[in-house]
Amino acid sequence: MNYPVWYLPEIGGGLLIAAIAVLHVFVSHFAVGGGLYLIYAEKKGLGENSEAILDFTKRHARFFLLLTMVFGSITGVGIWFIIALVNPAATSLLIHIFVFGWAAEWVFFVVEISAAFVYFYMFGRMDSATHLKVGWVYFISAWLSLFLINGIICFMLTPGSWLENQNFWAGFFNPSFWPSLLFRTCIAVMLAGVYGYLSASFSRDDSVRISMTRFSAKWSLLALLGALPSGVWYVMVLPEPAKELVLGKSPTIAAAGQWGVASVIVVLGLSLIFGFFRPTLNTRTTALLAMLGALVLMGSFEWIREAARRPYAINEVVYSNMIFKDDLAALDEKGYLQTALWVQDRDIGPENQLEAGRELFIQQCYACHSLKGLNNDLMPLTSHMSHQALVSYIGKIHKIRYFMPPFAGTQEEASMLATYIASGLHGKELVDPAATSAADPGQELFESNCASCHEAEDLGPATEEMDKDGIAAMLETLDELSDEMVPFEGSEEEAAELAAFIYFLSERDETPPLPVAVDGAVLFESECAACHAAEDMAAALEGWEPAEIKEALDKLDEFSDEMVPFEGSPEEKDALTNFLHKLGREN
Amino acid sequence: MQPIIPSADTIPVAWGWFQFLLLLTFPLHLLAMNAMVGGLAIGVVQHFRGGDSRRRLAHRIAIILPLVIAFAVNFGVAPLLFLQVLYGHFVYTSSILMGLFWIAVVPILIIAYYGAYLYDFKFKGLGAAGKWLALAVLLLLFCIGYFFSNNMLLMTLPERFSEYFQHRDGSLLVSGQSEFLPRYLHMMTGALAVGGLFVALLGRFKAKAAPELAAHASAVGMRTFFYMTIVNVGVGTWYLTSLPKQQMLLFMGRDLAATICFIIALLLVIGVLVSSFRQQLMTTLVGTVVLVYLMSFLRSWLRTDLLADYFNLSQLQVEPQYSSMFLFLFCLAGGVVCVGWLIAKTVNVLRSEI
Repeated sequence: MNYPVWYLPEIGGGLLIAAIAVLHVFVSHFAVGGGLYLIYAEKKGLGENSEAILDFTKRHARFFLLLTMVFGSITGVGIWFIIALVNPAATSLLIHIFVFGWAAEWVFFVVEISAAFVYFYMFGRMDSATHLKVGWVYFISAWLSLFLINGIICFMLTPGSWLENQNFWAGFFNPSFWPSLLFRTCIAVMLAGVYGYLSASFSRDDSVRISMTRFSAKWSLLALLGALPSGVWYVMVLPEPAKELVLGKSPTIAAAGQWGVASVIVVLGLSLIFGFFRPTLNTRTTALLAMLGALVLMGSFEWIREAARRPYAINEVVYSNMIFKDDLAALDEKGYLQTALWVQDRDIGPENQLEAGRELFIQQCYACHSLKGLNNDLMPLTSHMSHQALVSYIGKIHKIRYFMPPFAGTQEEASMLATYIASGLHGKELVDPAATSAADPGQELFESNCASCHEAEDLGPATEEMDKDGIAAMLETLDELSDEMVPFEGSEEEAAELAAFIYFLSERDETPPLPVAVDGAVLFESECAACHAAEDMAAALEGWEPAEIKEALDKLDEFSDEMVPFEGSPEEKDALTNFLHKLGREN
Repeated sequence: MQPIIPSADTIPVAWGWFQFLLLLTFPLHLLAMNAMVGGLAIGVVQHFRGGDSRRRLAHRIAIILPLVIAFAVNFGVAPLLFLQVLYGHFVYTSSILMGLFWIAVVPILIIAYYGAYLYDFKFKGLGAAGKWLALAVLLLLFCIGYFFSNNMLLMTLPERFSEYFQHRDGSLLVSGQSEFLPRYLHMMTGALAVGGLFVALLGRFKAKAAPELAAHASAVGMRTFFYMTIVNVGVGTWYLTSLPKQQMLLFMGRDLAATICFIIALLLVIGVLVSSFRQQLMTTLVGTVVLVYLMSFLRSWLRTDLLADYFNLSQLQVEPQYSSMFLFLFCLAGGVVCVGWLIAKTVNVLRSEI
């Protein structure tokens, strides 16, 4: 809203962040644990007086340097670039709150790369004691980098008391800081072991391969042991909504969690085999399998952490779509398009509803939804929704699905967004929201309350064993069926109408009653509008009383040979009379 | 029409601290970047021209190149951070407007960096292909510079921000802007010149172990510096005259401090030209470092003036939290000690090997 949106509808910014971030953390955590591994591998070589192990360590250091210095450090800068492009509002806030945290991290980055170069290029040239100290300088600075970044990343998920006092230290040492630091340290050590498998598998000397495979397995297994309690601790300190998402409420987290469990099994299984049973099974293929397992583990952890923050980019502060929580009320009142900075055309009318809806889509939905893209494609998710269903869904989107930000804007804007999705994206007939009304009130209620998630043909079989009263009773307790539903909030009559509609979605012995149109506007459209413009009728009926109008409807043939008396039911006649009377009064 | 400019976030200490840190660290990035681009350019020319001493010099440059890239990137992080603190609402916007190119910097840099390592580790094994690889890396680095120049110029042109609506995919470049080309060339020619000094310095480190190589490196480096600096005086003049008249006059009396700084810089240019002609490496080096700092100050003045109609730094709201700055200063002091220790230990080893 304050910043423009970098709009690549088929790709989506989230996918770009995920692609860079997952690969980066896979290398950057190795950059921490791997440093410690190098120190102890070198000590092992020195302690055993083994040139072969020292050679292995030097080769591993070269691989370490090439991976962490190039890919690790540049993708680190890459994350900074991509988050600033995709969510500049949240990035700017993080930069401004924690500027000196970032700056301190930069200092450790300088020390880290200096020490890494000295460690590699001076291997075998510097006395061992000093060389090992260089290794320690590297590892400590790398871990302190993790320490600092961890504080800022955790702040996004659990800002804690910063929300009240805006204090740097409160934000930095936030509720998830310590469990996350412990967890990430364990992951870093685990990765050191897994990368160790890879280097060992390339060793031509079998004794070194076996020795270093066993050595690496100890790292992985110990780290996995430590990761388990720290992971549980991490989940425990999460705020309630995030905890619920992690524990199954979020479908994306549930899917990522399954991948995470599978990957732990792979890494754990291979580490047990390599460490205790058959280190000779550590070949390039199995080592790569362990690497893949660790990558998936890292990816699923980061995915879960990111998803647990939803709908926020910074919890309780700014939503994923760059809208600040504190601005919501004003946006709902004044309108998003009238308030946001990067709006091309604020002059909204019936002729540019699609453009306005597209603008709203770009600014409020695109942060998480691509269009025909890989990531969270909006097209299949909305293909079955009518305009009316979308309007209703958009209005309570955050209530139904906590992990989605609330729509920010007026009811009219929600309708424009629905128009864009239904008509602009799916090619459904453009509907004037002011004039819409379903012929069947039950169907209308279904569209508004159910159709955003349920297709009529699915709901029929699901309720075929129930009678109307049973369905009506169920509507009052929908939250008991699923966390994603809320009880029907309409009146008793509306509940009965909706229940009747749902009841007849499945095959019944009785015939459903014919829908009755009681909306005067709809009756006018169907009975009068073919010959009479609303403005003309308004002028003609100025000053008429309802009784006069009602009487006139019975003898329309007296006004013109081309008309016949109105033939609707008494309720319909009343509705049409009211509508016409209103037209006359508004003239 | 009033340009669209996002509102700025609050800062934890007075803006002067950030300006100081920005102007302190940005020239370090420039010097490393110059060594990287200019050094490699000389290496490529040497490699293509062939001959034993040229080939050896190209190899020396190849060996040092990955380290220089690492520090060019690293020293770029701090100024980019402080730039975002002071001018984030401009530079985030300009980055998004050219998002496709801006994010391309990352993969291009990774490819160039790995190319540099390959050139280093396999210099001999690559044979004739090595020089083409080096040229490719150099072109990639020029490309990154091109994108950076675009972004740093675009952030000072808020009147063009509304072009976002025609470039929502982040495909806007401002290469067509009249001051773009001289600005970019001024930066790159400067890099070639300073790269010359870097090569001469490399030679100095090998003075005892390989005197012939050292002499060749010194001759090539100082010559490159001298001629490229002369060329850059011309390019700089072109750049100055390409600026809007108001900004051009900024350095010609409209702002006294900027004018004095400009005059000192010009005098220093003459000084380093003379010292480089006399092959006085250390004098030229010290003068050039000061010159790069002065040029950075001028650049900052220009940016401030270009944005003056829309924003000045004193508008940034401060919500004081000085304790976080002390954390940074404490870490900085510790970091300097650590790096000093690492350098001392490395120098000891290198000396013992001669």
